[in-house]
Amino acid sequence: MRLLLVEDNVPLADELVASLGRHGYATDWLADGRDADYQGSSEPYDLIVLDLGLPGKPGLEVLRDWRARGLTTPVLVLTARASWAERIEGLKAGADDYLTKPFHPEELLLRIQALLRRAHGLANQPLLRAGGLELDEGRQSCRKNGEEIALTAGEFRLLRYFMLHPGQLLSKTHLAEHLYDGETERDSNVIEVHINRLRGKLGRELIETRRGQGYRFGGQP
Amino acid sequence: MKSIQRSLALGLVAVLLVVALLLVQSSLWLFEAGLKRSLEADLREEAEGLLVAVVNGPDGVQLDTQRLSPRYQRAFSGHYFQIQLPGRTWRSRSLWDATPQWPQTPGLASELLDGPQQQRLLSYRAQYRRDGQPIVISVAQDYTPVLDSFARVRLSGLGLVGVALLVFLLVQRYAMALALRPLERARQQIAQLQQGQRQQLDSQAPLELQPLVEQINHLLTHTEDTLQRSRHALGNLGHALKTPLAVLGSLTQREELAAYPELQAGLQEQLAQIQQRVSRELGRARLAGEVLPGAHFDCDAELPALFETLAMIHRQDLDLRWQAPPGCRLPRDREDMLELLGNLLDNACKWARSKVVLTIERADGGYRLCVEDDGPGIPPAQREKVLARGARLDESAQGHGLGLGIVSDILAAWHGEWKLDDSPLGGLRVTIRLPAGR
Repeated sequence: MRLLLVEDNVPLADELVASLGRHGYATDWLADGRDADYQGSSEPYDLIVLDLGLPGKPGLEVLRDWRARGLTTPVLVLTARASWAERIEGLKAGADDYLTKPFHPEELLLRIQALLRRAHGLANQPLLRAGGLELDEGRQSCRKNGEEIALTAGEFRLLRYFMLHPGQLLSKTHLAEHLYDGETERDSNVIEVHINRLRGKLGRELIETRRGQGYRFGGQP
Repeated sequence: MKSIQRSLALGLVAVLLVVALLLVQSSLWLFEAGLKRSLEADLREEAEGLLVAVVNGPDGVQLDTQRLSPRYQRAFSGHYFQIQLPGRTWRSRSLWDATPQWPQTPGLASELLDGPQQQRLLSYRAQYRRDGQPIVISVAQDYTPVLDSFARVRLSGLGLVGVALLVFLLVQRYAMALALRPLERARQQIAQLQQGQRQQLDSQAPLELQPLVEQINHLLTHTEDTLQRSRHALGNLGHALKTPLAVLGSLTQREELAAYPELQAGLQEQLAQIQQRVSRELGRARLAGEVLPGAHFDCDAELPALFETLAMIHRQDLDLRWQAPPGCRLPRDREDMLELLGNLLDNACKWARSKVVLTIERADGGYRLCVEDDGPGIPPAQREKVLARGARLDESAQGHGLGLGIVSDILAAWHGEWKLDDSPLGGLRVTIRLPAGR
C-alpha cells in the first residue's frame, strides 16, 4: 500500500512515516500544499493523509482541486480544526474521513485500514479475508485453514495488496509502484522473490502468473 | 411601554381641549358683555320714559298710567319697575305680589335679581331730581331667555369642539402613521433580525433614521467579522497546540519508553488531560452564544450535510433520520447549532444498535430538539452524573467520548435546558428546550 502524507509539522511527520512504515505502508511525505496538489494526482497512491493547515496552499483547496480533476483516491483529513462546521466543510470538499489532532497513532492506523477496505468495497472486519486466507494486519500474520503462518514485512505488504485486490490482474510495475515509496529503488526481482516465498508458504495455486501480463491472486477467474 | 403615537395624541388632545374651551367661554363672555351694554341703554330709556310718566297732577305728584307701556300692566310680563319718591312708592302691576331685591346703587346691577316665577332679572337704577325731590326709578327685565340661549350656545359649542377633536385625532393618527412608517418598518426589520430571517437592516431609511440604521448594520458586520476572526485565530491556536500534542502522543508510543511502563502511563495521562482541557476551552471560546442577532440555522440546508458526515464517520448500516417542520429556521448561530447537534448525534451513533432519530419541533413558544437512539441507554441513576459531568469541567471523566461538555456550554449560553430519559426506540433520548426569543 502506498500512502501520501501531507503534513507540515516535521516531528509529527517523522513519527507518522516511521509508524506507518512499521505497519507495512510505503509512505511519501510532502510538507507544502502546492507540491501535494501536483504529486497527489500524478502518483498512483492508494490513500492520502492530508493535513489542512499547510503552507503554500490550504489543504481544503488542495482537496477540492484534486476532486475537481477527478482524483478518486480516498483522502483522510488530519486536522486540529475539530468543530463540526469544519468537519462538514472538509467532507463537502471531498474528504472520506476526518481525524482530529491530537490522536492516538493506533487510531490513525485503524482509520487508514478501514478506509482502504471501504475503498475496495470490503466490510470492516477485524481480519482481512480473501482467497481462503485471513490476514491480521495488527500482528502482520496470516492464517490458512486455522494454521498460523508467519510473514516477513515484505511478504506481508505484498499479500495485503493482493488480498485487497482479489481476482485482479496486477503487473509487476503496478505492484512496484504501490508497494514502494518514491525514494526506494524499484527492483522487480524483489517482487518475484517475495511472490515465490508466498507461494512456498501458502501454496502454489494461490498466485497465478500470466506471462507478459502479471499476477493474479485468488481462485476466481 | 411608551408609544410616540400615543403621547403625541395625548398632548394634542389636551392642548386642543383647553384652547377650545377657552375660546367658547371667552367668546360667550364678550358677547354677554356687549349684550348687557345694549340692554343697559334700553333700560335707561325705559327709566327716562317712566320719569316722563311721573307728572304733577292736581293732587300733587302722580303716575300717568296712560303713558305706561302695556307690558307693565300684564302680570309677570318680564318688564317691571319701581318708582320711589320721598313718602310714596309705585310698583308696576306686572310684578303682582313679587318683591324683588331692587339694587341699591345706580346704574346696571352687577348681580341678577330673583324675580317672580323663577325669572332672573337684569335691573337698572336711575336717580333723578325734580322740583327738589329725589326720584329713584328702578327698572328690570327678564334675563332668563338670554341665559337659556347662552346655555344652548355653550352646549352646541362644546359639541362642535368634541366633533372637531375627534376629526383632529383621526387626521393626526393618519398623519402620524404616515410619518412613522419608516420607524415601523425598522421595527419589523429588527424583529426579523431577531428571528434570524435577515442579516442586515434595509439601508433605504429616511434621513433621520439613516445614521441609526447604518450604525446597527455596521455593528452587525463588525460583530460577525470579530466572531469570524476570533474563530479563525482559535483554529490557528488549536492547530499550533494540537500538532505538538499529537507528536508527544506518538512519542510516548515509542518502544524505548515501553521499557518504563509507569513513565509512559504518566506521560500519556497528563497528555490526555492537557488535550481534553485544550479541546474543551477552545470549543467553549468558539461559541457565538447570543452575540449575533441575525444568526440562524437553516435546517433544510444544514441537516443533510451533517447527516452525510455522520453516515460517513459511523457504521454504514446505521439508519439515520431527521424530522423538522418545512422551512424551519432556528434563531441560533449556525456553527453553535452544528456543534450541539453534531456532538449529540455523534454520541447517539456511537451507542445506537441500528437507528438514530433527530426531531425538531416548535413547542411552548420555543423549540424542542430530540435526539434518540436504540442503544443500551443510560440507567436513571447515572443520568444526573452525565449532565453534571457536562456542566463541571473538573470532573469530566476522560475517554467516554460523550462530548457532552460542549453541549452543556452551548445550552448555558443559549439559556436552554436539557434532560435525559428513555426513548421509545429503546435507548437514550436527549431532549433540549430552547427559548425562542433572545
